[in-house]
Amino acid sequence: MAAETKLFGKLKTAEQEHEDPKEQLMFDPRPREELNRMVMEMMTTTTKKFWLWAIGLGVGVVVLLFGAWGYMISTGMWVTGLRRPIFWGVFIVTFVFWIGISHAGTFVSAILRVFKAEFRRPFTRAAELMTTFGLAAGALYPLIHLGRVWVFYFMIPYPNARWLWVNFRSPLVWDLLAITTYLLSSTIYLYLPLVPDLAMARDRTTGIRHSAYKILALGWRGTEAEWFRLRKAIQIFAFAIIPVMFSVHTIVAWDFAVSQVAGWHSTIFGPYFIIGAILSGVSAVVTILYILRSTLKHMDYFLRPEHFDALGKLILVFSMAWAYFFFNDYLLGWYGGEAAVRQILTLHATGPAAWVWYLMLICNMAVPWLTLWNRKIRRTPWLMFIITLTINVGMFAERYTIVPLTLGHQRTPFDWGVYTPQPVEISIVLGTFCLFTFLYLITSRLIPMVPVWEVQEGQVAHTLRKIGKAEVPTVTELD
Amino acid sequence: MYTKVVHMALFKEEELDHAAESITRLRLLGVQDKDISVISGIPFSEKILDRPMSWTNVGRIGIAGAVLGFIASLLFNFGTPFLYPLRVADMPIFFPIPTSIVVTFELTMLGLLISTFIGVFVETISPSFGPNGYHPKVSDGHIAVLFSGPILLDQQFHTTFEELGATLEHDVEEEKLWL
Amino acid sequence: MAEVSIAEKWGLVVDQDRCTGCNACVVACSMENNVPFTGEDNVAFGRGTYWIYNKRMWEGEYPRVAPAFQPVMCQQCGSAPCEPVCPTFAAVHSEEEQINLQVYIRCIGTRYCANNCPYHARQFNFQDPDIPEPMNSYLNPDVTVRSKGVMEKCTFCVQRIVGGRQTASAEDRPLRDGEVTPACVAACPSGALVFGDLSDPNSRVSQMAQNERQYKLMDELGTKPKVTYLKGGGRNGG
Repeated sequence: MAAETKLFGKLKTAEQEHEDPKEQLMFDPRPREELNRMVMEMMTTTTKKFWLWAIGLGVGVVVLLFGAWGYMISTGMWVTGLRRPIFWGVFIVTFVFWIGISHAGTFVSAILRVFKAEFRRPFTRAAELMTTFGLAAGALYPLIHLGRVWVFYFMIPYPNARWLWVNFRSPLVWDLLAITTYLLSSTIYLYLPLVPDLAMARDRTTGIRHSAYKILALGWRGTEAEWFRLRKAIQIFAFAIIPVMFSVHTIVAWDFAVSQVAGWHSTIFGPYFIIGAILSGVSAVVTILYILRSTLKHMDYFLRPEHFDALGKLILVFSMAWAYFFFNDYLLGWYGGEAAVRQILTLHATGPAAWVWYLMLICNMAVPWLTLWNRKIRRTPWLMFIITLTINVGMFAERYTIVPLTLGHQRTPFDWGVYTPQPVEISIVLGTFCLFTFLYLITSRLIPMVPVWEVQEGQVAHTLRKIGKAEVPTVTELD
Repeated sequence: MYTKVVHMALFKEEELDHAAESITRLRLLGVQDKDISVISGIPFSEKILDRPMSWTNVGRIGIAGAVLGFIASLLFNFGTPFLYPLRVADMPIFFPIPTSIVVTFELTMLGLLISTFIGVFVETISPSFGPNGYHPKVSDGHIAVLFSGPILLDQQFHTTFEELGATLEHDVEEEKLWL
Repeated sequence: MAEVSIAEKWGLVVDQDRCTGCNACVVACSMENNVPFTGEDNVAFGRGTYWIYNKRMWEGEYPRVAPAFQPVMCQQCGSAPCEPVCPTFAAVHSEEEQINLQVYIRCIGTRYCANNCPYHARQFNFQDPDIPEPMNSYLNPDVTVRSKGVMEKCTFCVQRIVGGRQTASAEDRPLRDGEVTPACVAACPSGALVFGDLSDPNSRVSQMAQNERQYKLMDELGTKPKVTYLKGGGRNGG
């Protein structure tokens, strides 16, 4: 009896502490018709500001990315800041950055789906879209950074007139295979749960949009067999895409770790990069969600403080995990006593570009640790926007530290060098940011940004159950 | 022989219990399970609707693709060196272990995932044998019970569904939803 | 696979005691191998293309400081870090000559090999070579002129090795020790560079490589370099 009173007492305080369940999306159900209408309006409403942004970003892609890239192809790589011994610069940094961003979608969508984290429902698509476009932006860099991009197909394994296959021992070939696999599978993984929503859009549009959705929806009706097949496929994908995601960033890490470069040759680089990727990816999801919430019509119904709260907790955990891996890499490198490694670690902290290293530590550790423990901060979207943006600046600084700052100080001091990104490189980097944003912006008006059926499924599955005197949220497993 | 007509009964989203009940009643009227099809805006499992289990070959097609990917990776790793042997560092030319494991993994996964999608695609566009028909209200959350039964039972169908509060529609079959 | 398997393992010995730092090797190498002149600004920026370069180091404590010279070229590693990372087999091991090759036509310019070379011996063509008249008449017809975007590096003057072997086989005699010399060795006025066949224990290079002053650059990395350095005592420096 005493135990029961205690239990009920606890529940009551919990209720006082926590918000009214009605404030949660899953306990604030609306009829499907209403949800559909909101999503369709979200998709079809464009303001003047939207078009200005779209045109501006489109021009940015053409000028900053393709213009600068074309210029660099025609003149040669001397327009970059690369010099001996720093042969990889900000292109590779941004490549790793975008591949990291692309881990968001899979993490949110696949891992949270596998573990049935219900808060994922309204923003899985937004995150998957980040994966696809992050990869699209990132996959450009292995091409951009090539000295002779016009013969990039030498890297692709196919029977050819040169009688030469590629070197399957090279991490760059692994990269090619892994990124291709990930890009294709994440695009499919974006598309599969989209089919029922495309069918919904098909039923509500006319003209060219209708024809396009009709083709893309593959004649979806919603029969039992179709649902069963779709869920089976999503299940296969959710489980299979997780190891692919891990392999992609591991291989990106191996690009560095298999080498003999001091400071790169580290056995912990694989998991270290994965954690960093998830940290920056999940942070970027929050950044994007904030922008979606404040620009898309009705999005504030679907995205609520609870989602920022949940993602904020994840970010805090991953920030700590990142610190753990970072310290592992740092301490053991330092303790090992190899002169070159120690020299590099010292120069990271005291060299001319030490501010990058401190920026990394502040943005990746100090900022999230000092803020994200607080529930109020986690539930304030604009604060989360700033914090997550800061984390991604920190992650960019981390990759910058790893690539050019480590390459510049190798074993022979005679060959040391300093790297400064040049205008063409900065322009191309900004250009891919424009490309990502442009693709995202346009797509947000072309496909339903919220997986309506998943939200409705969740709302059907969530009920308030009365235990004693309290109404407790419960989830029913529908499948 | 009698002609079969496809009927569609539309239930509102909160009337799921009625939809499930209607299937039982249809069965009592002699309509077979293969002549019934339920379409809905969100997935309901067969148990909820008391329907026979659906089947799909997506998993098997996926595994077949994984095997193909695995074989391709073996050819790449262990076959191509014979075509043009080139030595790099002191790595083995013809037996590239452990470097080949990465390629094997990626290509196996690529085969699995691509063929799973191809499986979904092929199964979706191949003809289905249940009663056809569609109503845009389904994507608004309505549950539609499609069934075909002898024209003689028309009256009974109408009474059954009126009791359950559904609207019955005829001639829903002609709509072409894809290409 | 090479049709003939010749047990030649070319090696180079650099006697740091004899090196005066005159840079004649650098000049000779550039002329022999059509190494592009990238201009003053690019050299200052760190984009000078040198297949061999002379590291000048200061030895001793102030005020007794003396320069020491260490000519560094591709070490033709037996287990070269640059080779396996190349996706297109542009950096490969030559079974015939036991040196690293850089196949320019296969190179797509990932520059991974250059990062992975602990000796920083690999050079990248940041731009197309600019060869003004009449310098184009000086180009060596035996060596490719590299376009922008490819890596290049010392080849131990493989064209001279092949040429020497062809002459010897035309005259129906084995290749004599010292018959083949890379441009840098031929140009070295002080005899600090000695080239030859390491598989022949009686060759001059094999004998010198046995010297007690011998060491290899970053031997601890396990790259198995073919270049042996003889430690300088500082007697001839400066």
